[in-house]
Amino acid sequence: MRQFNVLLKKEFLECWRSFKLLWIPLVFISLGVSDPIMNYYMSDILAAVGNVPEGFEMMLPELKPADLLLAATGQFQLVGLIVLIAVFVGTISRERLNGTATLIYVRPISATSVFMSKWVMASIVGMLSALLGYAGSLYYTSFLYGSINFADFIAMILTYFVWILFVMAVTVAMSASFSASIAVAITIFILPIGIILDSIIGSFWHWTPWKLANYGAGIVAGTVDANYYWKTLTITLLLTAIFIAIGIFATNRNRQLTKV
Amino acid sequence: MSLLRVDNLTKNYGSNTVVNNVSFTIEPFTSTALIGPNGAGKTTIMSIITGLLHPTSGKVFIEDYDDIREAIGFLPQYPQFYPWLTALEYVEMVANLSGVAAKEIRSRSMKTLEYVGLGKVIHKKTATFSGGMKQRLGIAQAIVHEPRLLLLDEPVSALDPIGRQEVMDLLKELQQETTILYSTHILHDAEKMTDQVLFLKEGKLVEQGSLIDIQQKYAESKYMIQFASEQSATTFCNSTNRNIERQGVYVYVDVSEQFPSITAIMQHLLALQADIVKVERVIASLDQIFMKVAGTSEAI
Repeated sequence: MRQFNVLLKKEFLECWRSFKLLWIPLVFISLGVSDPIMNYYMSDILAAVGNVPEGFEMMLPELKPADLLLAATGQFQLVGLIVLIAVFVGTISRERLNGTATLIYVRPISATSVFMSKWVMASIVGMLSALLGYAGSLYYTSFLYGSINFADFIAMILTYFVWILFVMAVTVAMSASFSASIAVAITIFILPIGIILDSIIGSFWHWTPWKLANYGAGIVAGTVDANYYWKTLTITLLLTAIFIAIGIFATNRNRQLTKV
Repeated sequence: MSLLRVDNLTKNYGSNTVVNNVSFTIEPFTSTALIGPNGAGKTTIMSIITGLLHPTSGKVFIEDYDDIREAIGFLPQYPQFYPWLTALEYVEMVANLSGVAAKEIRSRSMKTLEYVGLGKVIHKKTATFSGGMKQRLGIAQAIVHEPRLLLLDEPVSALDPIGRQEVMDLLKELQQETTILYSTHILHDAEKMTDQVLFLKEGKLVEQGSLIDIQQKYAESKYMIQFASEQSATTFCNSTNRNIERQGVYVYVDVSEQFPSITAIMQHLLALQADIVKVERVIASLDQIFMKVAGTSEAI
């Protein structure tokens, strides 16, 4: 436990001093606030930009507060996810490649502490970013569109946290298993492309982890089927545990790849 | 009892044998130099001892330890640090990871940094460090937990002459307190601080023993006479029909019936009234032994 704490502190210092704890949340905040603001002022924006033919009338959809949280979720799932993956997909393999891991691995520490410190810190950054992003979205949504049940909102965020834990487990496990370029390819395929594929052909099933974030947003809209939700949540947690196990195994196995 | 025992170590990469059946032991509080040309397998042997690499066959034992990593401190050839940490933060972190008692960490880290000469820059980020400072920090991280065995991979090769001298002085001090195994191809340094030498060639241990024994074994059966003038040298050369080599005022004489010992040579020189500077038995330097063992070319 002591080693885990020491390594976690080191990971925290890296994220802090390289400003990851600042700019990644800022990305999520800007993604979160863009939809309520853009949609609210859409007619004004169109009018100001001009180019609208005379006599043209556009029917802007009547948006409910829950729709805007769903839109924010969509942004996080596409842009936010790619940012998180890009930042953390090299977290273990980069240290092996540049040799900084060597001086850590020659000490009596377990692969579990190494992997868990990386995964926990990546998850903290991801969850903090999602929390602030949703908070920004909630602020403008409730300000411009109307209030949202706070308990539902919390449930949605907690659901998204579970999804982040899964995302970071996949990302860091791939970083432990492969060199950076291969890890990027696999992680991008499993996560963002997985989401797209699931949204195209996923109507045949109801419980893949890629649906979890939308189910979370569905809590606020009141459209989620509790049975599907709990199944998806359980499966996601299960897969997270499996990826953690893979990551610890790979961290241990690939110790010898570190540059001496 | 030996501190470290390496038994029949072999490491293959596919059909390529990098380390071939290497065995040796290291006694406590001695210094051992692993000597060999580039690619001889020095770093691979170090990596196996640290536990980073698994040998294809063979074993490494350290007295009283199951997890070898608890007993060692390791300095790689090019130590890499986290650039966002200060020197003190780094040393404290690794002391922590190596299990130094929590209340001793701060004082031990400060003392170690002071010892390696980084006392003034403990709060500087390692990103700003020069090559010599990084090497010192590398030594600090290797000794902060007071390991039984210190493994140093080419500790001075990357340094300029001044830095090299400073690091060698540091290592000589450390010799008093711990056991050292280090690899080098700068043999001049090895001569100054080594009890045992291990010569590696293409993954095989081709020669090993104490420095004195090896020097004896490879000592040339030759004497060197340095004359004060070219003229005396010529006189000497003409006075004997033995096989001799001459380079200006330096004359090399094989041990023979005419000259079985230094005394015989001296008597001959006295008879000639030759003007000499010195007469000595030619002792092989590690460089020359290295050349012989590595089988490249004959020195002298």
